[in-house]
Amino acid sequence: MTPSSPEPKKWLWLHREDNVAVALSDFTKGAVVQIDGSEIILRDPVDYGHKFAVKDVRAGEPIIKYAETIGVAARDILAGEHVHVHNLKSLRARRQ
Amino acid sequence: MRELTGYKHVDGRPGIRKHVVVLSLNSFCNTATELISQAVRGTLPLVHPHGRNEIGVHRERLERSLEGVVLHPNVYAVLVVGYEPKSTKEFVETVKKITAKSVESVLVLAGGTWDAVRTGVDKALEMVLAASEVCREPIELKDLIFGVKCGGSDATSGVASNAAVGEAVDRIIEAGGTAIFSETTEILGAEHILARRAVNEEVAKKIYRAVQENERFAMAAGVDLLGVNPVPDNIRGGISTIEEKSLGAILKAGNSRIEDVLGYGERPPHSGLYFMDSPSAATEVMTGLSAAGAQMILFSTGTGNPVGNPISPVLKITSNPRTVARMKEHIDVDISDVLTGSTSLREGGDRILQAIISVANSRLTKAEIVGHMEFAPIPVGL
Repeated sequence: MTPSSPEPKKWLWLHREDNVAVALSDFTKGAVVQIDGSEIILRDPVDYGHKFAVKDVRAGEPIIKYAETIGVAARDILAGEHVHVHNLKSLRARRQ
Repeated sequence: MRELTGYKHVDGRPGIRKHVVVLSLNSFCNTATELISQAVRGTLPLVHPHGRNEIGVHRERLERSLEGVVLHPNVYAVLVVGYEPKSTKEFVETVKKITAKSVESVLVLAGGTWDAVRTGVDKALEMVLAASEVCREPIELKDLIFGVKCGGSDATSGVASNAAVGEAVDRIIEAGGTAIFSETTEILGAEHILARRAVNEEVAKKIYRAVQENERFAMAAGVDLLGVNPVPDNIRGGISTIEEKSLGAILKAGNSRIEDVLGYGERPPHSGLYFMDSPSAATEVMTGLSAAGAQMILFSTGTGNPVGNPISPVLKITSNPRTVARMKEHIDVDISDVLTGSTSLREGGDRILQAIISVANSRLTKAEIVGHMEFAPIPVGL
Protein backbone atom coordinates (compact mmCIF):
# COMPACT_ATOMS: atom_id res chain seq x y z
CA MET A 1 0.00 0.00 0.00
CA THR A 2 1.34 3.44 -0.90
CA PRO A 3 1.47 5.89 1.96
CA SER A 4 -0.66 8.96 1.22
CA SER A 5 1.84 11.38 2.78
CA PRO A 6 5.64 11.03 2.60
CA GLU A 7 6.37 12.89 5.85
CA PRO A 8 5.88 10.68 8.93
CA LYS A 9 4.33 12.39 11.94
CA LYS A 10 6.54 13.06 14.93
CA TRP A 11 3.64 13.25 17.36
CA LEU A 12 0.02 12.16 17.60
CA TRP A 13 -2.88 14.32 18.75
CA LEU A 14 -5.50 11.59 18.96
CA HIS A 15 -8.73 13.55 19.45
CA ARG A 16 -9.75 17.21 19.20
CA GLU A 17 -10.88 17.08 22.85
CA ASP A 18 -7.47 15.84 24.02
CA ASN A 19 -5.35 18.34 25.95
CA VAL A 20 -2.25 16.14 25.53
CA ALA A 21 -0.47 14.73 22.47
CA VAL A 22 1.88 11.73 22.23
CA ALA A 23 5.48 12.10 21.05
CA LEU A 24 6.53 9.73 18.26
CA SER A 25 10.18 10.76 18.49
CA ASP A 26 12.52 11.91 21.22
CA PHE A 27 12.06 15.69 21.55
CA THR A 28 14.53 18.04 23.19
CA LYS A 29 13.45 21.05 25.22
CA GLY A 30 12.66 23.97 22.91
CA ALA A 31 11.47 21.83 19.99
CA VAL A 32 8.52 23.34 18.13
CA VAL A 33 5.43 21.37 17.11
CA GLN A 34 2.38 22.56 15.13
CA ILE A 35 -0.94 21.44 16.53
CA ASP A 36 -4.30 22.64 15.22
CA GLY A 37 -2.72 25.64 13.54
CA SER A 38 -0.82 26.88 16.58
CA GLU A 39 2.83 26.50 17.49
CA ILE A 40 3.75 24.81 20.74
CA ILE A 41 7.27 25.14 22.14
CA LEU A 42 8.19 22.15 24.28
CA ARG A 43 9.17 23.27 27.76
CA ASP A 44 10.71 19.89 28.68
CA PRO A 45 12.44 17.05 26.86
CA VAL A 46 9.69 14.58 25.81
CA ASP A 47 10.64 10.98 24.94
CA TYR A 48 8.99 8.66 22.42
CA GLY A 49 5.60 7.48 23.70
CA HIS A 50 5.41 10.22 26.34
CA LYS A 51 2.83 13.02 26.48
CA PHE A 52 3.00 16.81 26.35
CA ALA A 53 0.26 19.37 27.02
CA VAL A 54 -1.20 21.02 23.92
CA LYS A 55 -2.95 23.69 26.00
CA ASP A 56 -2.72 25.14 29.50
CA VAL A 57 -4.39 22.99 32.17
CA ARG A 58 -5.17 24.26 35.70
CA ALA A 59 -4.52 22.14 38.79
CA GLY A 60 -7.42 19.73 39.38
CA GLU A 61 -8.66 19.83 35.79
CA PRO A 62 -8.90 16.57 33.85
CA ILE A 63 -6.13 15.40 31.52
CA ILE A 64 -7.85 14.12 28.37
CA LYS A 65 -6.40 11.46 26.03
CA TYR A 66 -8.43 9.11 23.79
CA ALA A 67 -11.20 11.70 24.39
CA GLU A 68 -11.40 10.30 27.94
CA THR A 69 -10.17 11.39 31.36
CA ILE A 70 -6.90 9.64 32.22
CA GLY A 71 -6.46 11.55 35.51
CA VAL A 72 -6.25 15.13 36.79
CA ALA A 73 -3.51 17.75 36.75
CA ALA A 74 -1.67 17.66 40.10
CA ARG A 75 -0.60 21.27 39.52
CA ASP A 76 -0.97 23.94 36.84
CA ILE A 77 0.45 22.65 33.56
CA LEU A 78 1.44 24.93 30.67
CA ALA A 79 1.17 24.03 26.98
CA GLY A 80 4.40 22.30 25.94
CA GLU A 81 5.12 20.73 29.34
CA HIS A 82 5.85 17.02 29.70
CA VAL A 83 2.75 15.41 31.26
CA HIS A 84 3.53 12.31 33.30
CA VAL A 85 3.51 10.89 36.85
CA HIS A 86 5.06 14.11 38.27
CA ASN A 87 2.09 16.33 37.34
CA LEU A 88 -0.72 13.91 36.46
CA LYS A 89 -2.63 12.02 39.15
CA SER A 90 -4.79 8.93 38.66
CA LEU A 91 -8.36 9.09 39.92
CA ARG A 92 -8.36 5.33 40.41
CA ALA A 93 -5.00 4.26 41.85
CA ARG A 94 -4.95 3.47 45.56
CA ARG A 95 -1.32 4.48 46.00
CA GLN A 96 0.41 7.25 44.11
CA MET B 1 -15.97 -6.31 -0.20
CA ARG B 2 -14.45 -9.52 -1.61
CA GLU B 3 -16.45 -12.70 -1.24
CA LEU B 4 -15.98 -14.69 1.96
CA THR B 5 -15.94 -18.47 1.87
CA GLY B 6 -16.07 -21.18 4.46
CA TYR B 7 -17.22 -24.70 5.22
CA LYS B 8 -20.91 -25.07 5.96
CA HIS B 9 -21.66 -27.42 8.79
CA VAL B 10 -24.30 -29.84 9.88
CA ASP B 11 -24.81 -27.54 12.82
CA GLY B 12 -24.93 -23.78 12.88
CA ARG B 13 -22.05 -21.51 12.02
CA PRO B 14 -19.68 -22.22 9.15
CA GLY B 15 -15.98 -22.79 9.74
CA ILE B 16 -12.97 -21.25 8.01
CA ARG B 17 -10.90 -24.40 8.56
CA LYS B 18 -11.95 -28.08 8.54
CA HIS B 19 -9.77 -29.70 11.17
CA VAL B 20 -10.00 -33.36 12.07
CA VAL B 21 -9.03 -33.29 15.74
CA VAL B 22 -7.69 -36.15 17.84
CA LEU B 23 -8.61 -34.96 21.33
CA SER B 24 -7.05 -36.33 24.49
CA LEU B 25 -9.41 -36.26 27.49
CA ASN B 26 -6.73 -37.11 29.98
CA SER B 27 -2.95 -36.82 30.32
CA PHE B 28 -2.68 -40.65 30.19
CA CYS B 29 -4.20 -40.51 26.70
CA ASN B 30 -1.72 -38.03 25.27
CA THR B 31 0.63 -40.70 23.92
CA ALA B 32 -2.14 -42.55 22.07
CA THR B 33 -3.39 -39.19 20.76
CA GLU B 34 0.05 -38.24 19.41
CA LEU B 35 0.61 -41.71 17.89
CA ILE B 36 -2.73 -41.67 16.07
CA SER B 37 -2.04 -38.21 14.74
CA GLN B 38 1.47 -39.15 13.58
CA ALA B 39 0.04 -42.12 11.68
CA VAL B 40 -2.83 -40.28 10.02
CA ARG B 41 -1.81 -37.20 8.08
CA GLY B 42 -4.33 -34.37 8.16
CA THR B 43 -5.25 -34.82 11.82
CA LEU B 44 -4.60 -32.30 14.57
CA PRO B 45 -3.60 -33.73 17.98
CA LEU B 46 -4.72 -31.86 21.10
CA VAL B 47 -3.04 -32.86 24.34
CA HIS B 48 -2.87 -31.34 27.84
CA PRO B 49 -1.81 -32.35 31.37
CA HIS B 50 -5.32 -32.49 32.89
CA GLY B 51 -8.42 -34.66 33.07
CA ARG B 52 -8.21 -36.26 36.50
CA ASN B 53 -9.49 -35.02 39.87
CA GLU B 54 -10.22 -31.41 38.86
CA ILE B 55 -12.96 -29.80 40.91
CA GLY B 56 -15.07 -26.64 40.91
CA VAL B 57 -14.09 -23.86 38.57
CA HIS B 58 -11.15 -25.88 37.20
CA ARG B 59 -13.46 -28.76 36.27
CA GLU B 60 -15.92 -26.33 34.61
CA ARG B 61 -13.21 -24.57 32.61
CA LEU B 62 -11.69 -27.87 31.44
CA GLU B 63 -15.10 -29.13 30.29
CA ARG B 64 -15.88 -25.84 28.51
CA SER B 65 -12.50 -25.86 26.77
CA LEU B 66 -12.69 -29.49 25.61
CA GLU B 67 -16.36 -29.30 24.60
CA GLY B 68 -15.51 -26.04 22.86
CA VAL B 69 -13.00 -27.88 20.67
CA VAL B 70 -15.58 -30.46 19.60
CA LEU B 71 -18.31 -27.89 18.95
CA HIS B 72 -16.00 -25.43 17.16
CA PRO B 73 -17.05 -24.42 13.62
CA ASN B 74 -13.45 -24.84 12.39
CA VAL B 75 -13.55 -28.50 13.46
CA TYR B 76 -15.02 -30.99 10.99
CA ALA B 77 -14.79 -34.20 13.03
CA VAL B 78 -13.32 -35.36 16.33
CA LEU B 79 -11.77 -38.58 17.52
CA VAL B 80 -11.91 -38.53 21.32
CA VAL B 81 -9.19 -40.49 23.11
CA GLY B 82 -10.55 -41.25 26.57
CA TYR B 83 -9.10 -43.20 29.45
CA GLU B 84 -11.92 -45.15 31.06
CA PRO B 85 -15.44 -45.83 29.74
CA LYS B 86 -17.62 -43.82 32.16
CA SER B 87 -16.14 -40.30 31.81
CA THR B 88 -15.47 -40.83 28.09
CA LYS B 89 -19.06 -41.88 27.44
CA GLU B 90 -20.37 -38.92 29.45
CA PHE B 91 -18.23 -36.49 27.46
CA VAL B 92 -19.25 -37.92 24.07
CA GLU B 93 -22.94 -38.02 25.05
CA THR B 94 -22.86 -34.41 26.24
CA VAL B 95 -21.40 -33.07 23.01
CA LYS B 96 -23.57 -35.29 20.81
CA LYS B 97 -26.63 -33.63 22.33
CA ILE B 98 -25.37 -30.32 20.90
CA THR B 99 -23.64 -31.31 17.65
CA ALA B 100 -24.53 -33.58 14.75
CA LYS B 101 -20.93 -33.68 13.49
CA SER B 102 -18.91 -36.88 13.47
CA VAL B 103 -17.58 -37.59 17.01
CA GLU B 104 -16.11 -40.99 17.81
CA SER B 105 -14.06 -42.33 20.68
CA VAL B 106 -11.44 -44.89 21.62
CA LEU B 107 -10.45 -46.01 25.13
CA VAL B 108 -6.96 -46.51 26.51
CA LEU B 109 -8.07 -48.55 29.52
CA ALA B 110 -9.83 -51.10 27.26
CA GLY B 111 -6.75 -52.73 25.69
CA GLY B 112 -3.90 -50.34 26.33
CA THR B 113 -2.34 -47.49 24.37
CA TRP B 114 -1.50 -49.51 21.25
CA ASP B 115 -4.96 -51.03 21.03
CA ALA B 116 -6.48 -47.53 21.25
CA VAL B 117 -4.08 -46.47 18.47
CA ARG B 118 -4.97 -49.49 16.26
CA THR B 119 -8.69 -48.72 16.57
CA GLY B 120 -8.14 -44.98 16.41
CA VAL B 121 -6.15 -44.84 13.16
CA ASP B 122 -8.97 -46.56 11.22
CA LYS B 123 -11.56 -44.11 12.56
CA ALA B 124 -9.30 -41.09 11.99
CA LEU B 125 -8.60 -42.18 8.41
CA GLU B 126 -12.31 -42.24 7.59
CA MET B 127 -12.73 -38.78 9.12
CA VAL B 128 -9.84 -37.31 7.11
CA LEU B 129 -11.25 -38.86 3.93
CA ALA B 130 -14.69 -37.37 4.56
CA ALA B 131 -13.22 -33.96 5.45
CA SER B 132 -11.13 -33.92 2.28
CA GLU B 133 -14.29 -33.87 0.19
CA VAL B 134 -15.85 -30.84 1.86
CA CYS B 135 -15.67 -27.75 -0.37
CA ARG B 136 -15.81 -24.04 0.39
CA GLU B 137 -19.06 -22.15 -0.09
CA PRO B 138 -19.91 -18.45 0.18
CA ILE B 139 -20.45 -17.28 3.76
CA GLU B 140 -21.01 -13.84 5.30
CA LEU B 141 -19.15 -11.73 7.82
CA LYS B 142 -22.14 -12.05 10.15
CA ASP B 143 -21.49 -15.81 10.33
CA LEU B 144 -18.16 -15.21 12.04
CA ILE B 145 -17.17 -14.73 15.66
CA PHE B 146 -13.87 -12.92 16.25
CA GLY B 147 -11.78 -13.14 19.40
CA VAL B 148 -9.90 -9.91 20.10
CA LYS B 149 -6.69 -9.91 22.11
CA CYS B 150 -3.65 -7.71 22.68
CA GLY B 151 -0.28 -8.91 23.90
CA GLY B 152 3.27 -7.67 24.10
CA SER B 153 1.84 -4.16 24.27
CA ASP B 154 4.01 -1.05 24.03
CA ALA B 155 3.51 2.67 23.36
CA THR B 156 2.52 1.91 19.75
CA SER B 157 -0.31 -0.46 20.76
CA GLY B 158 -2.44 2.13 22.54
CA VAL B 159 -2.16 4.79 19.85
CA ALA B 160 -2.25 2.79 16.63
CA SER B 161 -2.62 -1.00 16.39
CA ASN B 162 -5.32 -1.41 19.08
CA ALA B 163 -7.23 1.52 17.58
CA ALA B 164 -7.00 0.07 14.04
CA VAL B 165 -8.16 -3.33 15.32
CA GLY B 166 -11.02 -1.45 17.03
CA GLU B 167 -11.93 0.08 13.64
CA ALA B 168 -12.10 -3.39 12.09
CA VAL B 169 -14.16 -4.68 15.04
CA ASP B 170 -16.64 -1.80 14.66
CA ARG B 171 -17.16 -2.72 11.03
CA ILE B 172 -17.55 -6.43 11.84
CA ILE B 173 -20.28 -5.53 14.34
CA GLU B 174 -21.95 -3.14 11.85
CA ALA B 175 -22.07 -6.01 9.36
CA GLY B 176 -23.96 -8.12 11.91
CA GLY B 177 -20.92 -10.08 13.08
CA THR B 178 -19.75 -10.96 16.57
CA ALA B 179 -16.61 -10.13 18.52
CA ILE B 180 -15.40 -11.08 21.99
CA PHE B 181 -12.68 -9.24 23.89
CA SER B 182 -11.35 -10.34 27.23
CA GLU B 183 -8.55 -9.92 29.80
CA THR B 184 -10.22 -8.65 32.96
CA THR B 185 -7.00 -7.19 34.40
CA GLU B 186 -6.65 -5.12 31.23
CA ILE B 187 -9.93 -3.25 31.72
CA LEU B 188 -9.09 -2.31 35.30
CA GLY B 189 -9.35 1.47 35.50
CA ALA B 190 -11.47 1.73 32.36
CA GLU B 191 -14.42 -0.38 33.48
CA HIS B 192 -16.58 2.76 33.95
CA ILE B 193 -16.12 3.54 30.25
CA LEU B 194 -17.08 0.01 29.20
CA ALA B 195 -20.01 0.07 31.65
CA ARG B 196 -21.34 3.20 29.90
CA ARG B 197 -21.41 1.17 26.68
CA ALA B 198 -23.28 -1.76 28.23
CA VAL B 199 -26.61 -2.62 26.65
CA ASN B 200 -28.36 -2.23 30.03
CA GLU B 201 -27.79 -1.64 33.73
CA GLU B 202 -27.51 -5.34 34.50
CA VAL B 203 -24.64 -5.82 32.02
CA ALA B 204 -22.95 -2.67 33.37
CA LYS B 205 -23.08 -4.23 36.85
CA LYS B 206 -21.58 -7.48 35.50
CA ILE B 207 -18.64 -5.53 34.07
CA TYR B 208 -17.97 -3.86 37.47
CA ARG B 209 -18.41 -7.20 39.25
CA ALA B 210 -15.89 -8.97 36.99
CA VAL B 211 -13.26 -6.35 37.84
CA GLN B 212 -14.06 -6.41 41.57
CA GLU B 213 -13.76 -10.20 41.67
CA ASN B 214 -10.46 -9.98 39.85
CA GLU B 215 -9.14 -7.43 42.34
CA ARG B 216 -10.38 -9.50 45.27
CA PHE B 217 -8.59 -12.58 43.89
CA ALA B 218 -5.37 -10.57 43.62
CA MET B 219 -5.82 -9.06 47.10
CA ALA B 220 -6.22 -12.57 48.56
CA ALA B 221 -2.79 -13.36 47.10
CA GLY B 222 -1.43 -10.15 48.62
CA VAL B 223 -1.37 -8.07 45.42
CA ASP B 224 -3.09 -4.69 45.10
CA LEU B 225 -3.71 -4.34 41.36
CA LEU B 226 -4.79 -0.70 41.53
CA GLY B 227 -1.84 0.10 43.76
CA VAL B 228 0.92 -1.29 41.53
CA ASN B 229 -0.37 -0.39 38.08
CA PRO B 230 1.01 0.92 35.75
CA VAL B 231 4.22 -1.04 36.33
CA PRO B 232 7.67 0.61 36.04
CA ASP B 233 8.26 -0.36 32.39
CA ASN B 234 4.83 1.09 31.46
CA ILE B 235 5.83 4.33 33.18
CA ARG B 236 9.18 4.38 31.39
CA GLY B 237 7.27 3.95 28.12
CA GLY B 238 5.16 7.03 28.88
CA ILE B 239 2.03 5.56 30.49
CA SER B 240 1.16 7.64 33.56
CA THR B 241 -2.03 6.18 35.07
CA ILE B 242 -4.03 2.94 35.23
CA GLU B 243 -6.86 4.71 33.36
CA GLU B 244 -4.52 5.57 30.49
CA LYS B 245 -3.14 2.02 30.32
CA SER B 246 -6.55 0.35 30.21
CA LEU B 247 -7.97 2.94 27.79
CA GLY B 248 -5.22 1.94 25.35
CA ALA B 249 -6.06 -1.75 25.81
CA ILE B 250 -9.84 -1.44 25.36
CA LEU B 251 -9.44 0.46 22.09
CA LYS B 252 -9.04 -2.94 20.41
CA ALA B 253 -12.73 -3.63 21.07
CA GLY B 254 -13.89 -0.56 19.11
CA ASN B 255 -16.87 1.53 20.14
CA SER B 256 -19.86 -0.78 19.80
CA ARG B 257 -22.45 -1.49 22.47
CA ILE B 258 -21.51 -4.31 24.85
CA GLU B 259 -24.16 -7.03 24.75
CA ASP B 260 -23.11 -9.09 27.76
CA VAL B 261 -20.33 -10.45 29.95
CA LEU B 262 -19.50 -14.07 29.10
CA GLY B 263 -17.88 -16.61 31.38
CA TYR B 264 -14.66 -18.39 30.33
CA GLY B 265 -15.30 -20.23 27.06
CA GLU B 266 -19.02 -19.35 27.06
CA ARG B 267 -20.59 -19.05 23.61
CA PRO B 268 -22.27 -15.72 22.76
CA PRO B 269 -26.07 -16.13 22.46
CA HIS B 270 -26.43 -13.73 19.50
CA SER B 271 -24.38 -11.30 17.41
CA GLY B 272 -22.66 -8.15 18.70
CA LEU B 273 -19.75 -7.26 20.96
CA TYR B 274 -19.11 -9.22 24.18
CA PHE B 275 -16.66 -9.10 27.06
CA MET B 276 -15.37 -12.46 28.33
CA ASP B 277 -14.32 -12.52 31.99
CA SER B 278 -11.03 -14.40 31.89
CA PRO B 279 -7.44 -14.53 33.10
CA SER B 280 -5.24 -12.51 30.77
CA ALA B 281 -2.32 -14.75 29.69
CA ALA B 282 -2.38 -15.14 25.90
CA THR B 283 -2.58 -18.94 25.61
CA GLU B 284 -5.31 -19.17 28.27
CA VAL B 285 -7.39 -16.29 26.87
CA MET B 286 -7.19 -17.63 23.33
CA THR B 287 -8.14 -21.16 24.42
CA GLY B 288 -11.23 -19.56 26.00
CA LEU B 289 -12.01 -17.36 22.98
CA SER B 290 -11.73 -20.42 20.74
CA ALA B 291 -13.94 -22.45 23.10
CA ALA B 292 -16.52 -19.66 22.80
CA GLY B 293 -16.59 -20.41 19.07
CA ALA B 294 -14.31 -17.68 17.66
CA GLN B 295 -13.38 -18.78 14.13
CA MET B 296 -10.50 -16.27 14.09
CA ILE B 297 -8.57 -14.27 16.67
CA LEU B 298 -7.33 -10.73 16.01
CA PHE B 299 -4.13 -10.16 17.99
CA SER B 300 -2.73 -6.66 18.34
CA THR B 301 0.89 -6.54 19.43
CA GLY B 302 3.58 -3.96 20.09
CA THR B 303 6.80 -5.82 20.85
CA GLY B 304 5.56 -9.02 19.18
CA ASN B 305 4.43 -12.39 20.50
CA PRO B 306 4.65 -15.78 18.76
CA VAL B 307 1.57 -17.40 20.40
CA GLY B 308 -1.06 -19.18 18.30
CA ASN B 309 -4.10 -21.43 18.73
CA PRO B 310 -4.65 -24.90 17.28
CA ILE B 311 -8.26 -24.33 16.18
CA SER B 312 -8.71 -20.59 15.55
CA PRO B 313 -6.21 -18.88 13.22
CA VAL B 314 -4.53 -15.98 15.06
CA LEU B 315 -3.97 -12.86 12.94
CA LYS B 316 -1.07 -10.78 14.33
CA ILE B 317 -1.25 -7.05 13.78
CA THR B 318 1.40 -4.52 14.75
CA SER B 319 2.09 -0.85 14.22
CA ASN B 320 5.64 -1.05 15.55
CA PRO B 321 8.05 -0.97 12.55
CA ARG B 322 10.86 -2.51 14.60
CA THR B 323 8.67 -5.51 15.45
CA VAL B 324 7.77 -5.93 11.76
CA ALA B 325 11.48 -6.20 10.96
CA ARG B 326 12.49 -8.27 14.01
CA MET B 327 9.57 -10.74 14.20
CA LYS B 328 8.87 -11.39 10.49
CA GLU B 329 7.65 -14.94 10.97
CA HIS B 330 5.09 -13.81 13.56
CA ILE B 331 3.50 -10.70 12.03
CA ASP B 332 0.64 -10.96 9.50
CA VAL B 333 -0.45 -7.33 9.15
CA ASP B 334 1.93 -4.38 9.18
CA ILE B 335 0.18 -1.09 9.95
CA SER B 336 3.26 0.86 11.04
CA ASP B 337 2.27 3.58 8.58
CA VAL B 338 -0.80 4.24 10.76
CA LEU B 339 1.52 5.05 13.66
CA THR B 340 3.51 7.56 11.63
CA GLY B 341 0.32 9.13 10.33
CA SER B 342 0.91 8.47 6.62
CA THR B 343 -2.14 6.17 6.67
CA SER B 344 -5.42 6.89 8.46
CA LEU B 345 -6.87 4.69 11.18
CA ARG B 346 -9.74 3.89 8.83
CA GLU B 347 -7.33 2.67 6.14
CA GLY B 348 -5.54 0.64 8.80
CA GLY B 349 -8.88 -0.93 9.72
CA ASP B 350 -9.46 -1.65 6.01
CA ARG B 351 -6.12 -3.43 5.72
CA ILE B 352 -7.01 -5.61 8.73
CA LEU B 353 -10.42 -6.43 7.20
CA GLN B 354 -8.77 -7.42 3.91
CA ALA B 355 -6.38 -9.70 5.81
CA ILE B 356 -9.34 -11.18 7.71
CA ILE B 357 -11.07 -12.04 4.43
CA SER B 358 -7.89 -13.60 3.01
CA VAL B 359 -7.34 -15.72 6.11
CA ALA B 360 -10.99 -16.77 6.24
CA ASN B 361 -10.70 -17.73 2.56
CA SER B 362 -7.69 -20.04 3.27
CA ARG B 363 -4.56 -17.86 3.44
CA LEU B 364 -2.53 -19.22 6.36
CA THR B 365 -1.53 -17.07 9.31
CA LYS B 366 2.16 -16.97 10.28
CA ALA B 367 1.30 -18.77 13.54
CA GLU B 368 -0.31 -21.61 11.54
CA ILE B 369 2.79 -21.91 9.33
CA VAL B 370 5.34 -21.67 12.14
CA GLY B 371 3.26 -24.23 14.04
CA HIS B 372 2.19 -22.31 17.12
CA MET B 373 -0.70 -24.30 18.60
CA GLU B 374 -0.69 -23.34 22.26
CA PHE B 375 -3.57 -24.87 24.19
CA ALA B 376 -4.31 -24.35 27.92
CA PRO B 377 -7.76 -25.66 28.82
CA ILE B 378 -7.59 -24.69 32.51
CA PRO B 379 -6.55 -21.07 32.90
CA VAL B 380 -5.19 -20.22 36.33
CA GLY B 381 -3.89 -16.93 37.65
CA LEU B 382 -5.02 -13.48 36.59
